[in-house]
Amino acid sequence: MVLVDLAASKALGSAAVLLFLTVLMLAAAKRMSTSIVAFALQSAVLAAQVLAVARIHGSTESYVIGALVILIKVLGIPYALFRLVDKLQAPHDVKLSLSPVYSVFITAGLIFLSFTAVHTYVQELRVSEDVLAAAVALILSGAFLMVSHGKALMQIIALLVLENGIFLAALITTFGMPMIIEIGVFFDLVMGVLLMGIFAFRIRDTFEHLDVSKLRRLRG
Amino acid sequence: MTTVAVNVLQYLLLVLGAPVLRALIARVKALIQRRQGSNLWRPYADLLKLFRKEDLVPPTSSPLFRFAPMMLTASTFVAAALVPTVYQSALLGFAGDFIVLVYVLALGRFFMGLGALDGSSSFAGMGASREAMISALAEAPLLLGLIAVAILARQGNIVEIVRWTLKQNFFDVSAVHAVAFAALAMVAIAETGRMPVDNPTTHLELTMIHEAMVLEYSGPSLALIEWTQAVKLNVVLSLLIGLFAPWGMATSLTFAGLALGLSAYLLKLVVLAIVIAVLESSIAKLRMYMVPEFLGIATALGALAVVFTALMRR
Amino acid sequence: MVLLLPLLIPVLGAAIVLFFRRATRTALLIGTAEIAALSWLTFATYRHGSVAFGHYLRADHLTAVFLASLCVIFALVLVYSSGYLRHLPPERFSSVRWFYALLFLFLFTMLASYLSSNLGLLWIFMEGTTLASALLVGFYETEGAVEAGWKYLVVCTVGLAFALFGTIALYLAAVKSGVAGGSALDWTSLMAAAPQLSVMKNLVKLAFVFLIVGYGTKVGFVPLHSWLPDAHAEAPSPISAMLSAALLNCAMYALLRYDAIAVRAIGPGFSHHLLLLFGGVSILIAGLLMIVQRDLKRLFAYSSVEHMGIIATGIGLGGPLGLYGALLHTFNHSVAKSVLFFAAGNVRENLGTLRIDRISGMTRMLPFTSGALILGGLAIVGMPPFALFVSEFAILSGAFSQARHLVAVIFLVGLTLAFGALLFHFLHMLGGEPKDTPESRKVAGTELAVIGVCAVVLLIFGVHVPAQFQKLVEGAMAVLQQ
Repeated sequence: MVLVDLAASKALGSAAVLLFLTVLMLAAAKRMSTSIVAFALQSAVLAAQVLAVARIHGSTESYVIGALVILIKVLGIPYALFRLVDKLQAPHDVKLSLSPVYSVFITAGLIFLSFTAVHTYVQELRVSEDVLAAAVALILSGAFLMVSHGKALMQIIALLVLENGIFLAALITTFGMPMIIEIGVFFDLVMGVLLMGIFAFRIRDTFEHLDVSKLRRLRG
Repeated sequence: MTTVAVNVLQYLLLVLGAPVLRALIARVKALIQRRQGSNLWRPYADLLKLFRKEDLVPPTSSPLFRFAPMMLTASTFVAAALVPTVYQSALLGFAGDFIVLVYVLALGRFFMGLGALDGSSSFAGMGASREAMISALAEAPLLLGLIAVAILARQGNIVEIVRWTLKQNFFDVSAVHAVAFAALAMVAIAETGRMPVDNPTTHLELTMIHEAMVLEYSGPSLALIEWTQAVKLNVVLSLLIGLFAPWGMATSLTFAGLALGLSAYLLKLVVLAIVIAVLESSIAKLRMYMVPEFLGIATALGALAVVFTALMRR
Repeated sequence: MVLLLPLLIPVLGAAIVLFFRRATRTALLIGTAEIAALSWLTFATYRHGSVAFGHYLRADHLTAVFLASLCVIFALVLVYSSGYLRHLPPERFSSVRWFYALLFLFLFTMLASYLSSNLGLLWIFMEGTTLASALLVGFYETEGAVEAGWKYLVVCTVGLAFALFGTIALYLAAVKSGVAGGSALDWTSLMAAAPQLSVMKNLVKLAFVFLIVGYGTKVGFVPLHSWLPDAHAEAPSPISAMLSAALLNCAMYALLRYDAIAVRAIGPGFSHHLLLLFGGVSILIAGLLMIVQRDLKRLFAYSSVEHMGIIATGIGLGGPLGLYGALLHTFNHSVAKSVLFFAAGNVRENLGTLRIDRISGMTRMLPFTSGALILGGLAIVGMPPFALFVSEFAILSGAFSQARHLVAVIFLVGLTLAFGALLFHFLHMLGGEPKDTPESRKVAGTELAVIGVCAVVLLIFGVHVPAQFQKLVEGAMAVLQQ
């Protein structure tokens, strides 16, 4: 039991580092499978955070949410994304609109930016600066990924990363929202990914490619 | 056992035992490919054979051609003296020696490039220019990573940094160390000429980088070059181990401590060798102009590591 | 019961409609039941002031205003769809059953957002509206529809993610200033405890910024409106009407709720300035963009953006005139915009195109539709005796009474731009010689009836707002300014 408590506190402490590494991995990724794996790792770190919080605060609700995170975000959605990549028979490259070097540099800049943004709120909220900055960095890098990637599937992953960031921010500041809200948010997320998958199929069928940046018919 | 004696012994271990490491990597790769693989002591036989042979030089070359491998060997062996392996001390150590390490290694590469150009062979020239590009790009992340770790430890001396790291708790994952390790690992691959930057076992000249530079060498010069390559690999790996995972290193001059330190060091080297072998067997070599991208990412990571020293507490 | 019935019928109806071959008839039946249930709910709220069920469902006068408009629009859209879909060639879209099923689900999600008393639940159902309507926007199997649907889905989901962040920030502010965790997302509790929230002033401000950006994406404020013209242009016309007339109102409803809390917590300055800013920018830029449009439905979409800006301006001005005008405008705009989109549907069906430069001489080819367009156009630019004049005049008076002359100037400039744009485009379409004589297709009886009803409503509300509706609006204002 002491070991579990120790692991919990260490998980809370080192989560920020691991999250930054996954963010950088996503920025530098050149293949779809790397991105999906990075997302799964990110969600796993989040699940560890949830379970650590559950352990420290002793709330059963958090255990349920942790189990949900593992089931849906670590296993379910990555599996669905892999199946989607297979079925779409899409080329595996990620269609980054700028070179990975610039992408990593910009992501590093975003991480720095998130630290500065978080600075004023740390005292007010009494949370660990690292983890809150990690949450904001997830949000910012999700937005950046969405803009810099032209592939429909990558935009789905970018959206998921954005939601991860918001989830983490909610977790460390409020230690869990009411159960029904969390479940509703999960449900929306799953339905959203489902719908985006359907649309990805439609895009592929109508346009013969999955490059969303080429969808520029409607303008003005 | 005095400190000096221990330092001399661990230096000799590093320098003389280096060829075994390369043989180990080759052996593990062979096993992965379901081959028998050669004997672990084979490199020594090869080196002895080469030392007994005649040193042939191209007729158009200058004394620089024979001088270059000696310079390479000298600089790498000096670099090896800066790195602690079994006991937390090294033959040479002074403030700022990590910068000296970087540039001493660069000096050796510089002379190697000169020697290759002096040989007047087109493949050697190609190899020299490629190597120059890679080393120019690898310098930044190498220095940035080392600087980040040094800032964190508040020390400029490699031995002191290692001592500081030894006192840290393993489970407090440090952001600076994580990112700096990623950067330095990528640079290590570029520096020692392993996959995916360079394939050390290729026989196609157009894909060679380091091997192309040494095409013209034979006899004792070639022996020196091969040996130095092995020592360089060992130095870089020992540096990585020392800076990022030194636990188990002997902190006192007792027999038990030294025995533990030796076994820990050998175990870590073996693990790293297996990791390198698996990595080399599973990924393909990068195209030549993807290498700057690879090193660019390493530079971004190194810069981030330095930024992190200011932002995060660890 | 009165609250659950309007929610259950669409959900069950969606499932039922999928199983019947005669989808249209089934849908009309279910729709009638739903409209009856909704009317019952609205009357109950009107009579009792507020109706609640359990911890999470609640309807007060503010809800009733929006429910009334939703009810009317849904009825109109349903009747129009039954005629419209019969005219469409069957290979153009997926299936009629899915259309009605999705329409019912769309209605359900919007209704559930109106009826949630919990702000988190409100968010969940707002996201649900995006999901339910995405397939409706991308209903046709054309390139444009798929692109519009994808853009809509992605942009709105990202926007709502920011709104979620804002919701969480507000929840945090409430919890940190002493509100109990279980009721920190309940709107009535938050309104009651709002003065306490002034302790966490910075956090409330941060929350409101994210909320206005997030829900503003759904409303269509400039510069977050990028999904709007595409979605309206590519969706089937009844769905475009549903989007403009119902969905935008739903998002505005969320903003109204949050603005009320913000005003009570940190005073009206911050939130109202933001609303005025977004509103003014939307009015101006939408007005300007309307001039250069080439597609009829895109033109109407930008008009919706402008009117949402007008409503935001009304809320931002506040006070008895501004808020009254805004609430009334949500209803008036819905009806008028529906007329325009229904007419556009007719144009599409009979002339095969919606490109303004390819249409001319419509008065001779489609007299009734031309009449509808003129009527809708006059209504939408705010001509008396149509209803929008009343609400816009109220907002303008509010601006002058508060001596906010810049707001009034922007308002008037935007309206003039819209008027000019519509005039220019309509003259091109309606005047001149017909390009070719198509086979004269009759306008379906349903479409005729629907546009007629809208015209009547607009005239009635323009001359004199019915007393019951007036009472509802005043009750809504009381709810917001408690």
